[in-house]
Amino acid sequence: MPLVAAAPPSLPPPPASSLLRTRGLSLTYPNGTVALAGLDLNVPRGSVGLVGANGAGKTTLFRLMLGLLFPTAGAIEVVGLPVATDPIGIRSRLGYMPEHDCLPGDQSAADFVASFGELAGLPPRPARQRASDVLDLVGLDEARFRPVGGFSTGMRQRTKLAQALVADPELLLLDEPTAGLDPVGREEMLDLVGRLAGFGISVLFATHLLDDVQRVCDHVVMIDGGRLRLAGPIDELVERTGVLRVEVGGRPDAVEALAAALQQRGMASVALDQHVLDIDTRNGGDDAPDIVRDLIVDLGLRLYALSSQHRSLDELFLQGAGRP
Amino acid sequence: MSLAPTLGGAVYDRGYRPYEGPRGGRNYARWALWRLSVRRALGIRRSWRQKVLPWTLLGLATLPACVDIGIRYATRNTPPYRLDADIEDFLFTFKDYVGVSTLLLLFVAVSAPDIICPDRHDRVLPLLFSRQLTGVDYVVAKVSAMFAIIFGFAFIPQVVLFVGQMFVNKNGSIDYFQDHLDVLWKVPISIAILALYYALVSVALASLTDRRMVAGIAFIGLMMITHAVGQFFIESARPDGTIMSLVQLWTVPLVLRDIVFLGHVEPLGRLQGVEGAGFAAVFVYLAVLTASAAVLLWRYREVDL
Repeated sequence: MPLVAAAPPSLPPPPASSLLRTRGLSLTYPNGTVALAGLDLNVPRGSVGLVGANGAGKTTLFRLMLGLLFPTAGAIEVVGLPVATDPIGIRSRLGYMPEHDCLPGDQSAADFVASFGELAGLPPRPARQRASDVLDLVGLDEARFRPVGGFSTGMRQRTKLAQALVADPELLLLDEPTAGLDPVGREEMLDLVGRLAGFGISVLFATHLLDDVQRVCDHVVMIDGGRLRLAGPIDELVERTGVLRVEVGGRPDAVEALAAALQQRGMASVALDQHVLDIDTRNGGDDAPDIVRDLIVDLGLRLYALSSQHRSLDELFLQGAGRP
Repeated sequence: MSLAPTLGGAVYDRGYRPYEGPRGGRNYARWALWRLSVRRALGIRRSWRQKVLPWTLLGLATLPACVDIGIRYATRNTPPYRLDADIEDFLFTFKDYVGVSTLLLLFVAVSAPDIICPDRHDRVLPLLFSRQLTGVDYVVAKVSAMFAIIFGFAFIPQVVLFVGQMFVNKNGSIDYFQDHLDVLWKVPISIAILALYYALVSVALASLTDRRMVAGIAFIGLMMITHAVGQFFIESARPDGTIMSLVQLWTVPLVLRDIVFLGHVEPLGRLQGVEGAGFAAVFVYLAVLTASAAVLLWRYREVDL
């Protein structure tokens, strides 16, 4: 029997824009818990949302990307580099912002961020300069010499983001960056994360808040119980459903009259209440909204609202998880 | 009412600037962690409160050397046989000065928890291990930082003592230097043995808790309890020495110091008349180092994010 460990399955050459690629990625802990089961991913660079409930495998995937864990099967490539080849060197290209609090209360933000710049390989003087720059970027320029112990939750989250950014990473791993923030703080954090793509930094944004992903990401990966549920560009996933929602009035039987007229044109509809009607326009072609508008005018009804219905990420996630 | 235009004033959005300078690898990360740990223990770039204790202890540890030099200067023209016995008690040898004082124990009990415990308490470890550092790198950086701090703490007073004695010597500095050349290697080696021992033991103990106070008390407690147990064996064996005196953990590097300075263990000490005492001391020394290293590697074998 050869005394050589089996080589991990190799992946075909990565495209230049590949952020994360996995092939059959699996991890089973020694106690038998399956954290990831046969994950196949090919995620392009940009802002990517990693969505899943608690325990879905998001943090495990981060640990595998950082080379802190090794898969029990399969292969993983981050920013085009196989993690198995140089699990420690890969970290020089990544910035990591953990979900939990990880700031020493007795250090100033500037000192803390500069320290992590040095730990990421920057010489002391550039590390201090970078710390100053990124703290300015995240909006902590005034507070950077204050001890972190006196910071609010929002300021602490920004400090964590600054330490992840200080070494100018190719890819930023953000674990629940909006956790614990009030609505204003959340908006500000999402604005910041949204701006990162413009700086050429790719983001992998782990969260269970689908609204956050829909707002700042252009790609989404949904995992559940260690398995891939859905992955793709958000624009394509939330494409139009072909349903037109109208709100009409002007007479007591407005909805019924419009439904009958639509039926004659071959378009099915469902009344949601006395005024709102969902119309399946897939048989109406591209002119369907115009046809509906004209019918409403012909029937002498009042049109209060007309909108195309899109699928939300929540619906997609629930469908993917096999839930109604 | 409109505001007057600001002359020459402008607001610039500096945006984000990529970093294009030099970037170190894993060795540099280890070196950076070492440097940051030393800085932290000595209170550098921290508030004055964090500086007071380490620097006061270092000052106090240097005080005996200053007293020794002062006495030697004041009595430089007095023949040794005319010196008062009380005054002679204040004078000591380089070997004696490589000792384990209360100040050293206190310094170690304060410094080791300070460079280890906050990383776990504040949950900074996951961030450290997301950089180019492994558990072994972390242990090596922290132990070597503690080694350097203890070495400095024990070595600086020796330098003061050596240079001071050299200058107050009535036969001239050059003669003194030539007569004490052996000190130039015996002292650093003895201090290195002492520093490695205390660095590993103190950092290993501190790694078992995330509370600085608990770690400091545990270190002092370990030294006191093993001292008391060892003392029981020593009293039981009087007037002979006993191998069981090595249970006193704080004395182990001192036996090795005696071997470095004298070439054998102290003939009238706790190991008086014990066959193979030197080998036993070396064995205990290595066993303690191995056990401490094993504890550290176990504690930092993996880190949860």
